[in-house]
Amino acid sequence: MKQTYQQRFQDLWGDMRRDWQLYLLLAPMAIWFALFLYKPMYGLVIAFQDFSIFRGIEKSPWVGFANFVELFQNDMFVRAFWNTITISGLGLIFAFPVPIILALMFNEVQNEVGRRWAQTIVYLPHFISVVIVAGIVINFLSPSIGIVNLILKGIGLEPIYFLTQPEWFRPVFIGSSVWKESGFESIVYLAAIAGVSPTLYESARVDGASRWQMMWRITLPCILPTIVIMLIIRIGNLVEVGFEYIILLYRPSTYESADVVSTFIYRTGLQGTQYDLATAAGLFNAVIAFVLVYSANRISRKVSSTSLW
Amino acid sequence: MKTLRKGAPLLALMTAMTMALPVSAQDAGKISEDPLELTIHFHFRDKYVYSEKWPVEQKAAEITNIHVRNVASLATTSSRDAFNLLIASGDLPDIVGGDANGGLKEDFIRYGLEGAFIPLDDLIEENAPNLKAFFDSHKDIRNAISGPDGKLYFIPYVPDGKYSRGWFIRQDWLDKLGLKQPETPEEVYEVLKAFRDKDPNGNGKKDEVPYFAREEIDAVRLINLWDARVSGSERYGDFAVYDGQLRHPWAEENYKIGISNVAKWYKEGLIDKEIFTRGARSREYLLGNDLGGMTHDWFASTSTYNDALSPKIEGFALKPMLPPKTASGQRFEDSRRLRVQPVGWAISATNEHPVETIKYFDFWFSQQGRTLSNFGVEGKTYEMVDGKPQFKKEVLDNKDPVNAQLWAVGAQVPRGYWMDYEYERQWTNKIALEGIDLYDKCNCLKDEFMGVSLNADEKATFDRYWPSLLTYMTEMQQTWVLGAQDVNTGWDAYKKRLTALGYDEVIKIMQSAYDRQYKAAQ
Repeated sequence: MKQTYQQRFQDLWGDMRRDWQLYLLLAPMAIWFALFLYKPMYGLVIAFQDFSIFRGIEKSPWVGFANFVELFQNDMFVRAFWNTITISGLGLIFAFPVPIILALMFNEVQNEVGRRWAQTIVYLPHFISVVIVAGIVINFLSPSIGIVNLILKGIGLEPIYFLTQPEWFRPVFIGSSVWKESGFESIVYLAAIAGVSPTLYESARVDGASRWQMMWRITLPCILPTIVIMLIIRIGNLVEVGFEYIILLYRPSTYESADVVSTFIYRTGLQGTQYDLATAAGLFNAVIAFVLVYSANRISRKVSSTSLW
Repeated sequence: MKTLRKGAPLLALMTAMTMALPVSAQDAGKISEDPLELTIHFHFRDKYVYSEKWPVEQKAAEITNIHVRNVASLATTSSRDAFNLLIASGDLPDIVGGDANGGLKEDFIRYGLEGAFIPLDDLIEENAPNLKAFFDSHKDIRNAISGPDGKLYFIPYVPDGKYSRGWFIRQDWLDKLGLKQPETPEEVYEVLKAFRDKDPNGNGKKDEVPYFAREEIDAVRLINLWDARVSGSERYGDFAVYDGQLRHPWAEENYKIGISNVAKWYKEGLIDKEIFTRGARSREYLLGNDLGGMTHDWFASTSTYNDALSPKIEGFALKPMLPPKTASGQRFEDSRRLRVQPVGWAISATNEHPVETIKYFDFWFSQQGRTLSNFGVEGKTYEMVDGKPQFKKEVLDNKDPVNAQLWAVGAQVPRGYWMDYEYERQWTNKIALEGIDLYDKCNCLKDEFMGVSLNADEKATFDRYWPSLLTYMTEMQQTWVLGAQDVNTGWDAYKKRLTALGYDEVIKIMQSAYDRQYKAAQ
């Protein structure tokens, strides 16, 4: 049945009057989105301008794609882009499965008290500010007083100055991120596991399935949609790496493997006040992210019939 | 006012307005007959704003009859953000000033050219005898702060005194090991080795850190021993002037030799293993724990460790020493105090009283204004002794540093003013003064590169190439020193890469800007 716009509008109005409490609950989030995500989109036009904050958007001259050309001719940007993909990709491979494994493990812990303790301990780092985490990492890895190097020295190995060596940056970055976030991320999976119908386990037990089999055949398939959704979101964030944390950990000697798009934007765009160039880099990032999410979603819809939309 | 209607140049307008003013404005007296209020945006050191309550400001208002009212918000914790927000709002008060991360010189010039601030040259010529006299006798400063069109857009804070950093060594360690202050690169090598091996702190452990540095700029300062320079100014990684030619010190042949030796020393443990990561507190930590042997740092603050640590560490003596002779037998000190700071204040295009404002700026360069901005208010922070200002004893003995006390009353804040080194000398540690004396006699400072103002085309070239070049050079510097790659095998590739990244283009535009700014005007 084809509706006119008028009818649709009337239906919507009717819905809103009926369920006004629900819409009221939705309102703050919708307003937040409009104010902080949609309104600033107007500013993206400065990516196509020779922008001056004094002249403003109205009066700055248009330059077409000049900022993008400049960006792609800059091999520091190209390097930063590949670094971003690599760091995120490695994070996807090594960090993404950890919260799932953690959740499965928590689920198997029989002792209630022990399980609470373990959960609290792995959640805790999430609530520590990145600045402090970076401080802890720097101190742990210090070549003279860091505990890691003291252990290395203790077992007769040469101390390693981790934070100045490009090949060590990624392991340190991803490793400490896992320590900080995976506990908290496991909450989503724990919630999904809690939603699995107990009858499935009961019938499996009657059939004589082992715990291992139950995990593989029941728990995992049941939380698979959650895993896929999380994976799609994660792929969308592939071109974004937690930039505060990188800024705190990297130094010139590790730029080679640590400099990512957001730190590049920070250095050239904000410190060098080239807002137009920085916006161009940000816009490029957003376009790539959109393409990634869109394709991940399509693939997932075809393969597993689970998707974001 | 007929001249106005004929469309006379700005100059005539200025003259007309000057004549309309009372004669008393000639001296440092009242600038305006009736009290005149000017608004100002003045945010500095990320947490202070201009205040009508400052005794210094009240005194200035009393003398000049100009009342300056601040409009900058105290709620911002970044002077840079405060400035950028102000510019973006487009609604400028009469005066814009203060400081910000990275300095405001380029901003004053850039937005001045775009029409936010007015050029001051004619105003100074007509109305500001003290500023005119100052710039006439300091041509290089005038050149350094003028825009690519040769005009002045702001009145800067001009520091005084020549020296900033120098070499410091643990004299008591030298004495204990029977060594003298090193005079050549070889002797520095021997001294640092002795510090490393002979346990000068006497705790039985090999934990001494022979050379250390607190700031990035001093981390590779030892390359000076092979005639290479770290920077042409107090800014890290700045260009340097070599006989009128502008080049970057990190692309020079002697830099290769310097860095390869520094890398060798680093490998041998003569330089702090954590030199790039220890950060701002390294001096406090390494000296306080009796570990650090030699450094290159600010005279005034480094000397104070002698007082602070002598009760804790027996015989502690961290003495300034002359720069050792270089491999080619010269003696030079790489760092020096900036001759002009890239901060100060400017007049907005919307200001309806430019003449009064420039006279107000001029006041701070008069003898009266200079004393006020340096020492505070007479009777409160200083007293005249033999015709010279002398800080009161309670100011010198206060547990807060003298400069912090002065900031609190509105003196030594980064308005356009001319510092008087005497202010600093009166509360500088004796050992630092000895060091400065030593360096003064040596007379071994290098010329400072005071910066250039790029025109639009030059700026476009600079922005295209320079950030990547600087990133690459900094990266390689650390990579070499830390031993991840070898300088000698990598140098040719490094030079090639610099060319590929646009080094020659950058030098070309820098040189033309430099010639325009400093040579044409001479």
